[in-house]
Parts: sequence; C-alpha cells; structure tokens
Amino acid sequence: MRPRPSLLLIMVGAALGLLFAGFSTFDFAQHLDRQVHGVHCSFLPGLTGTQVGESGCQAVMISPYSSLFRAKLWGGIPISLPAMSVFAFLLFFAAEVALSRRQGDRRATGFLALATVLPAAASAVMALVALIEVGSMCKLCVGIYLASALCLLGGVLVWRRARRAEGNADGWAALMRRADAPKSGEPAWVAGEAEVEPVPVPEAPMDSAPGPSPAPATAAVGAGYLGFAFALGVVFVALPVAAYVASAPDQARFVGSCGALENPGDPYATHVPLDPHPGGAPTLEILDPLCPACRAFDLRLAAAGLADKLDRKAALFPLDNTCNWMVGSAIHPGACAVSEAVLCAGARASLVVSWAFEQQERIREAAARDPKAAGRMVAARFPELAGCMGSAEVRSRLNKSLRFAVRNHLPVLTPQIYVAGVKLCDEDVDLGLDFALSRMLEQFRQGTLERTQLPAAGAVSPAAAGKVTP
Amino acid sequence: MTALRALLLLGLLLLPAVLATSWVGSAKVRLALAEQGAGTRPQQTAVAAPSDDAYCSPALKKILRRVLQSCGLLGSRSGRGCQPLEAKNVATVSGDDFNALFQPMRHRGGIVQFEMAKADLPPGARSLVDTVFTDQRGASYFFVVARASPEGAVTYNRELSKRRAEAVMAHLRQTFRDPDLDREVGLLWLGEEFAQLDGEFCDWKRSGAAECVPADINRSAFVAWIDCQL
Repeated sequence: MRPRPSLLLIMVGAALGLLFAGFSTFDFAQHLDRQVHGVHCSFLPGLTGTQVGESGCQAVMISPYSSLFRAKLWGGIPISLPAMSVFAFLLFFAAEVALSRRQGDRRATGFLALATVLPAAASAVMALVALIEVGSMCKLCVGIYLASALCLLGGVLVWRRARRAEGNADGWAALMRRADAPKSGEPAWVAGEAEVEPVPVPEAPMDSAPGPSPAPATAAVGAGYLGFAFALGVVFVALPVAAYVASAPDQARFVGSCGALENPGDPYATHVPLDPHPGGAPTLEILDPLCPACRAFDLRLAAAGLADKLDRKAALFPLDNTCNWMVGSAIHPGACAVSEAVLCAGARASLVVSWAFEQQERIREAAARDPKAAGRMVAARFPELAGCMGSAEVRSRLNKSLRFAVRNHLPVLTPQIYVAGVKLCDEDVDLGLDFALSRMLEQFRQGTLERTQLPAAGAVSPAAAGKVTP
Repeated sequence: MTALRALLLLGLLLLPAVLATSWVGSAKVRLALAEQGAGTRPQQTAVAAPSDDAYCSPALKKILRRVLQSCGLLGSRSGRGCQPLEAKNVATVSGDDFNALFQPMRHRGGIVQFEMAKADLPPGARSLVDTVFTDQRGASYFFVVARASPEGAVTYNRELSKRRAEAVMAHLRQTFRDPDLDREVGLLWLGEEFAQLDGEFCDWKRSGAAECVPADINRSAFVAWIDCQL
C-alpha cells in the first residue's frame, strides 16, 4: 500500500494547494469584520507577515473575480474556499487509492486524474483573468496554480501507469487463457497476440501486485464506487460553503448607516456628469481623477453590472495641496490640473476622467517632477480645454467643489459614494459593493432608502438619524 | 485500515468547514467589538473643513470675531462695512497693532493702489484683486480694508476710503457673480484716521508703481483672504 511517486505527487500538490487556498480564504474572511487588513502575499505565507496596501494579492482579492454570489452575500463566497475543499478531496482520494490498493485500478485512478483537472482548469482560467482583466498576479494564487499543476501531473501519471499495468494484467490473463485453451500449435503471442506482450513495470513495489503476477489485488471499482466518490466530492465542496454562508455576519444592517449629505444642493453647478442614466438613482461620487482607488471603484462598478442603474455625477475632490488645503502634501500630484480640465469639459467630463484613469501613473509621476506637467499633458490630449484651464473662473469652481465637501463635513477621502444623498459605507466600496449597492438601489426603487442608525449603541452619532429625501 | 480511511475522510471533510467557520466567527466577534467601540473611538479620517492657519491665535480670532460681527459678516446685523470709528472701537487695539494682525497674510494678500482722490479701480488693480480673490483655498473671509492718505479733509477721506472699498466689492460682484460674496467679504474703510500703513507694507504685492512711499500705499485697499475658522 505504499503510494507510488506519482500518487505522492498528487498528495504533495493537494497539501500545498490546501495550504495556499487556506491562507487565501483566511485573508478574505478577515475582511468580513469591515476593517482594513493586510493580506498574505508570499510563496511562504506562513513564514512571512501580511502586507497592507496595494499589492497584487490585494488587487486580486478585491477584484470581482475572487468570489461568487457577491450580490447575495457580503463579499460573496471566496473561490479559494471551494479550492480548499477540492484540494482536501484530492488529498483524501489519493490516500484512499493507496490505502485501498487501487493504484493499479484504471477506473479509480482515472477518476482521480479527472478530479485533478478541475483545479488545474480553474487555475488556468483564473491565471488568465488575473493577467488580462485584473492586471496583477498574487503569489498565493501562483502557489495554488502550481499546486494544481502538480496534482494534474500526478493524476495523469498515476492513471497512465494504471492503464499500462492493467494492460499488462490483461495480457497475462490472456496468456493464461491461451495456455488453458486447446493448443493450436502456436503460442498465443505468435498467433496475433504480440500487442499484449507484457511490459515490465519500472515502479516497484506495486502494492496491488505483490507477487509475480501483475494483476491487481482488488477488483476494479464499479460505477457505484465512482458515483459515491463523485457525491463525496460534492459534499466536500458543499459543506464548507454552507458553513461559511451560515456563519457569515449580517451586513445588511449597515446599509444606510454611514451618514448622508447634509447639504446635497449644488448651487454653483460644480458637479459634473460621469455616467448619466436618466431615471437611474441619482448618485454622487466624491472623486479625484488621479486616485487609484477611484479607478478601481469604477472598474468594480462596471463589473458588478450596476452602473446602468445609477445616474452618476462627480464632485471633484483632488487630493493635491496645489488647490486643496485639506491635505498637507500632493498625495496625487497633478490632480488639481486634471480636475480643472474635468470641470472645463462640462458635459464631456467623463471623457477626461476616463483618460485620466488610464494615464494615472504617468500623470502623477510627471507632475511629481514638474508641477505644470499635468496641465501640459491634458492640454496635449484635449487642446480645446487649454484656454479654460487655469482661468480664474475654473479655479473658483474647483474651490467651490472642495467647499461642497466642507459644507457637508465629508471625510477627506476618495472615493465616496452617495446614492440619493445616502452614503455607501466606505467598508462597502470594495468587497461589499455588489451586496450593499444592490440593496441601496432596491430601497431607492421602493422609496425606502434612508439614513439609518445601527441598533448597537454609539455606533453612529445620534445626529445621524432622519430621512434623506432623494 | 478501515478506521484509518474513515478518520482521514472525516478529518479532511471537516477541515475546510471548521477552518472557514472559525475564521468567519473571529471576524464576527471583531465586528461586534468594533461596533461597540465605534462611539468611543475618535474618528481617524480627517473631515473637510475650512483652513485654520497657525497664525490664527486666540487673540487674533477674538479681534477678527469682533470686527466681523461689527462689520456685518457674523451675526444677524444687516448691511456691511465698518466705519473708521467702529473699526477702531471693535478692534480695541492701536493702529500699529491692528496692522500687525495682517502681517502674517503678506503672501495671501495684496495692496490695491488708487490714484490720488480717486476711487476707480485701475486695470492693474483689477487683475491683482482677481489674482488674490481666486486664490481662496480654504479661507473663509475676504477682507477689504480701504484707506486714504492724509491729504484733504478727514470727512472727505473717510468717504473716499468707503468708495474705494465699495469699488473693490463692486468689481468682485461683477467679475465673480458669487452668492457667497455676501457671507465672505468684509469691508472696512479707515479714512486717514486709523491704522495708516507704514513703509513695511511696500514689500507686499501691490498694483501701483515700483516706487513706494507711505502716502502712496495709504491711497489703497488692502485685500486678503483670512485663513482662520471662527
């Protein structure tokens, strides 16, 4: 019953996969407390600490591809959780094949090989998504991909060996049958049986063939066994998912509990259209066009498929001390110049914002070296705005836009989202976006979207109560 | 052997479920603790607010508040503007001390110079007013402090300085059409009676000729944003 090297390969791959997927699930589950956490981002996750802030692991985790059913459950079900289950199942089934002396059973090993295709195929798809859609790779994910590849390799090898061994066994049995059969004058392998010539099996010892005979020690598994194994695999996945869903905290009560705009009016017409959808929920985004989190939010919103239900406008809030006195330094150099361009563009503001999102790193780097570089870059791309940028009027409008934040006592933070004046909690802007925003939209549709107070004492200031009319 | 296989099955079947439940449970506990502590912890993110520079000492704020209240920017008093006597009384400081209050604003303000006995804004003066006014940043109040040089009668100079202050205000209204002007701009006209500027103010941004003598800079309106929260 000693496992063959190829079976050991599956076990090692499955154990590694279980480890990496486990750390990934742990990182994801940490965020259910609505706080900021670091994530493990290393090929040795248990030996190194977590990283906070921007990293490939963070980007992949926050991306819409890291979990399923996000609109139903806050954050969704992390795909690393079923991955854990699949690796646990592979580990179990590989051990089962060894312990039950079925390493030479073509059907049992075939099922095992087929099972290893699942994580391998999922890994291939996820790697492509990470490269093409997210643009970041996470080391934990790469660990899972490699573990999946090991499992697949082991699965194919163990299945091939079993096929060859069974072939040998068939050939031996045929020879025995020929020997028992009435003699025709020619040995069986001469009379057209040469293709079943026994092939020596290099791997030894073979638990299923302890004696000189290569025939398996146990009977080949039947459809019932395979059906049971499949059902067991389903239980392996379903049980943790069900446990996760059942134990997840209730996040719906936070919807509407994070405040509202005190003075939502825009007397100076400083709000610019971002993505107009007449009839959609009026949504205001506190936006810095050079803020990576704003760009990421834009992508998540598009991926969530909720953008069409929002009538989005932006209140510009550049985190750049060239124009914004509320920040001590230029967190996003060049953001003031780009914001002026957005205001100058008027109805075409979304074009400037989209361009700024695409060019964020380049603009910020250039503006950090030369404060006037951002203005030149905008003017080169949108020459029609050059005359307006830097004018007294647009500078005054940008100042009024910043004062909108003052009038409403907003946090110095971007992005912030207000649906019909009610704030989407900052904690719901990434992992919880689909869940919280879809609930806010539903409440808006029903006319019940309002600023609420959490039942827990002291969670929200008493002044936070009161309905906000859209 | 069967027991070992069963143990393996049970262990590996339950491992992901137990771990997931434990991690989610920990998050749930932390969430509950965070909710309990939310009311007692100070807010970590800064909140958008008007600027309040280091030079805004309590003494300065006290005087500014008095001036602003008396000049119609704070409180319910209708109308705007302080006459020399009022300014002198509400400030309760000497002319030099009054001028010293404005020294920290040298990089935020400017001195708009007028021709002798005139209250029309020269073109150069308009651009200076625009430059200073559009650089509001986080400031809450814009002061226009108009003066007259000592030539001529006191009452004439009082009236002349008032017209100079109003000329600046009219220009702001015409150029910026900003409804906030009425809440932001404070006018003081001091005539020749109070807080005449000395040569130190020649270093400020000015709209007049390069040569500067105290008489010239007192035919003026001092304009500046005040970065203080009151």
